[in-house]
Amino acid sequence: MNFITAYGHLQENSCAVNGETICRRDKNSGDPWFRQIYKEQEFVYPKFHKMDVLSQAGFLTSELIKRANPQFAGKYKDDEIAMLFANRSGSAETDQKFVHAYQNGTPSPSLFVYTLPNIVMGEIAILNKWYGESLFAVLPAFDAEFYINHCNLLLSAGSEAVLCSWHEIAGNQIDVFTFLIEKEGESRFELTTNTLSKIAFEGNFHKTEINANYYY
Amino acid sequence: MTYIGAELIISPLGKTTEENCTAMIANRSGISLIADAGFDHKSLFLSKINDPDGQGKFTRLIIQAIETIKNEIDDAVLLSARTIFIISSTKGDPEQIKDPFNAAVSAVQQKFSLANRPIVISNACISGIVAINTAHHLIRARLYDHAVVIGCDVLSDFVVYGFQSLFAMGDAPCRPFDAARNGISIGEGCGAVVVSASEHIFRNPSLQLLAGTTANDANHISGPSRTGEGLFRSVKKTMEKNGITADELDFISAHGTATVFNDEMESIAFDRLGMSNIPLNSLKGYFGHTLGAAGIIETAASMQMIRNGILFKSLGFQEQGTSKALNIVSGNTVANPETILKTASGFGGGNASLIIRSI
Repeated sequence: MNFITAYGHLQENSCAVNGETICRRDKNSGDPWFRQIYKEQEFVYPKFHKMDVLSQAGFLTSELIKRANPQFAGKYKDDEIAMLFANRSGSAETDQKFVHAYQNGTPSPSLFVYTLPNIVMGEIAILNKWYGESLFAVLPAFDAEFYINHCNLLLSAGSEAVLCSWHEIAGNQIDVFTFLIEKEGESRFELTTNTLSKIAFEGNFHKTEINANYYY
Repeated sequence: MTYIGAELIISPLGKTTEENCTAMIANRSGISLIADAGFDHKSLFLSKINDPDGQGKFTRLIIQAIETIKNEIDDAVLLSARTIFIISSTKGDPEQIKDPFNAAVSAVQQKFSLANRPIVISNACISGIVAINTAHHLIRARLYDHAVVIGCDVLSDFVVYGFQSLFAMGDAPCRPFDAARNGISIGEGCGAVVVSASEHIFRNPSLQLLAGTTANDANHISGPSRTGEGLFRSVKKTMEKNGITADELDFISAHGTATVFNDEMESIAFDRLGMSNIPLNSLKGYFGHTLGAAGIIETAASMQMIRNGILFKSLGFQEQGTSKALNIVSGNTVANPETILKTASGFGGGNASLIIRSI
């Protein structure tokens, strides 16, 4: 059996770790929402400011998960932590910015390098010096079974932990759910379709009505 | 054992595997000078499919690939609930900028009434190898019995301008591993293979697919590692997993994009792996760099090398241009390769490898 040992939600107006809201968007702030979290949580990683939104979201949720689970990173060898990310629209958010740049001036190389959805996993690998497996899939919607199947494949083929994320950002809509899968953990967080679906939508209190059918 | 067969290449060199194979035997390239292709109307060397039909090319190529390979496998496989389709692509449909994959995937699923929704894998330039490896893992775990793996990327202003902005495009057809190489030639194309737990679904004899792996460089999002760390680790893992040593490899189908840094990185990784003497090529001189299709097109071409008993010349290579020497195939060679290592490396620090073997 595998377990969900930590998780984080990042949405339009709130950011939560293990179900506890740690940050709310200040609409009056002069800073973009992700920079508000970065400052409030006192992160120091100047490269954050060069990243696109997918990579910034991956930085924030993965670092917050590590803080909530401080012994995690030291437990494994540098190639034993895999990454399994997915979303609906790939890097479309940054793709549109790149198109806008060349239609109104010149193609921007610093935008172009972020126009691939797997770059966020590269950024997390660089930050943590993780040399493990990585997979980015595009799916029409969050699918608990997809993560369970592919985590099982990774964990039976040499990986000891998997950092997973549903990583969708489209315009003002932010739906990021990052979670850590390990081989040992608490029984109430066993990696099952029910548990994972329930946790995935736990953060979406403002979406509960439309997503009511996701509650088991 | 996991089987791989029914390989297909659609490129400027042809619509069928045979046409592409004939072109490679003749050392013909799909790369040509395309007028007004670049930003500021620059002419560029690209591997472009002549396509008078215009719109919807991405979806049309995938449909064309499925129409072709369905004649190479048992009729029941395509529609079986035990079959998964995996589509490998970096950019999807460039005409659907806000949602580049879902419309094409839905169109393909509906067109053929597929039992399962295809999975898209988008891991930059290693996507094709990752997709074939994913097919292998899913079948070994018995989640599916068969996988149809299709890689496709099409040319667009987006991709061309992007690589121009990085100064990554060569000013001549690409010359992988050559001393005079100065950048990539972008290409478009579609490749397909069928992976199965059964050898009986194939009209022509299949080959064996051995488990592959990926590894990250953990170094840079758009530049290769100076030490080839991720490629070294991925190949080492793949070899160890299958209990194969370097002396059992007859050939390496390398990534070889023809940028100065990528090819140098690969030479360092293969040197560290003790593989400098193994005959090696890059197929980018024939197809250009077809991004998400590259890993599948090049695996299909490698399968053709095994079937036809030939090592294709590494087109564009004349003089050693990497700090570590490699055994680059400088002319078509009659040989009997049985075991081939295929590798890829790409943006995001990704590296992937797999092994195919004759049965």
